[in-house]
Amino acid sequence: MLEVKNIRKSFGDLEVLRGVDLRVNRGDVVAILGPSGSGKTTLLRCMNFLEQADDGVLVFDGESHPFRQITKKGIVRLRKKTAFVFQNYNLFRNKTALQNVTEGLIIGRRIPKSQAIEIGEQALQKVGLLDHRDYYPSQLSGGQQQRVAIARAIATKPEIIYFDEPTSALDPELTGEVLAVMRTLANEGMTMLVVTHEMGFARHVSNRVIFLENGAVVESGDAYSFFEHPKEARTKAFLQTLNGKLTQAC
Amino acid sequence: MNYLWSLLAESFWQILIPGLTMTIPLTVISFAIAMVIAVAVALVQFAKVPVIRQIARFYIWVIRGTPLLVQLFVVFFGLPHVGILIDAFPAAVLVFSINQGAYCAETVRAALESVPAGQLEAAACAGLTWSQSIRRIVLPQALRTAFPPLSNSLIGMVKDTSLAANITVTEMFMATERIVALTAEPLALYIEVGVIYLLFCTVLTRLQRVGEKRLSVYG
Repeated sequence: MLEVKNIRKSFGDLEVLRGVDLRVNRGDVVAILGPSGSGKTTLLRCMNFLEQADDGVLVFDGESHPFRQITKKGIVRLRKKTAFVFQNYNLFRNKTALQNVTEGLIIGRRIPKSQAIEIGEQALQKVGLLDHRDYYPSQLSGGQQQRVAIARAIATKPEIIYFDEPTSALDPELTGEVLAVMRTLANEGMTMLVVTHEMGFARHVSNRVIFLENGAVVESGDAYSFFEHPKEARTKAFLQTLNGKLTQAC
Repeated sequence: MNYLWSLLAESFWQILIPGLTMTIPLTVISFAIAMVIAVAVALVQFAKVPVIRQIARFYIWVIRGTPLLVQLFVVFFGLPHVGILIDAFPAAVLVFSINQGAYCAETVRAALESVPAGQLEAAACAGLTWSQSIRRIVLPQALRTAFPPLSNSLIGMVKDTSLAANITVTEMFMATERIVALTAEPLALYIEVGVIYLLFCTVLTRLQRVGEKRLSVYG
């Protein structure tokens, strides 16, 4: 369904992505792992054109879109097939929970208001926040805000949802409610590409894992063999550090 | 003493009426036009529109760098020399709106820049175009931030309109000067007109508080 070929991106002299390839099939839940500074977030942001990649091609539903040549119209068109969940939620601060969800439907997609509200309420119901429909983001906890952001993402019926470290800004006790919603989506067959530090999620919910370091793919494969039988020394070291941290924490 | 009180009582209406018919319309019309200029000038800078953005900077530079009184004189006394004759009231509206527009443009620009970049990104990802994002997400948030400083500018403008007396607009201050010329009571009368300006600004301060409360619904 979606493929990225040889994506490259530099910020000044710093090469953040050095020719990454990536493939997502319909229904896949792909976790992108890697130490901080490895280019995970930049990869996701380039894929939705929030950053302009220097080179590479995005193939979406069989159509090729070279990153450097895509037009503004092409970007708007592609974005209507995708949704993005940000690390810091980025809910519209001047809109209620329901308005956050319906904005992209009524304004972006010209869906009639009454129909949009119906879709919006269903989406909020799904993340368990229908009773908070008239709350403004400032009146919601971080976990609730992120769930509204997920409702905003699913309401547009996207073909894929990009998650950029969706739980990194949350207190540990709030990450659970967000991960639970994501797990439900995954079980329903939603295609998801998730940059995350949540190893539990990567291991148990995603079906494929990509491990990035210094802007290049070190290892990728199905989630089970990645965690149980990592091939690369670097991956083993990364997993060991994480295990070490977990033991320490316990 | 009695004479002074009856003078003040009598002159109160003679000053207040030009206040209501001249000072307030001059302020309201000029400020409304200034707001349109301010939002437009701030947006072309925010959107980094080439060339027009440089023109906007030039406009702000010139207007902020020259005295309001000089601007009034150039338009009312200067332009007729090249055949452009503008009546006193429209000339005052023209100068006040252009002048205030430059200051308020900076206020609005700062407010636009204070809206987190993530708001625009989220709007883009939700499928909104740039202009839809600005109109529905960024501008409403920016105008809320800009509301207190813009109220400040409005209150300042009420008093600045007294400068229009210099180009023959018969607003409150000129009305007072005329009464002073007839009665030779400058102290009492200039204090009186000051109190009336203070009254006007008190009303605006109240309105500002109500406005801020209304705008704070989303915290």
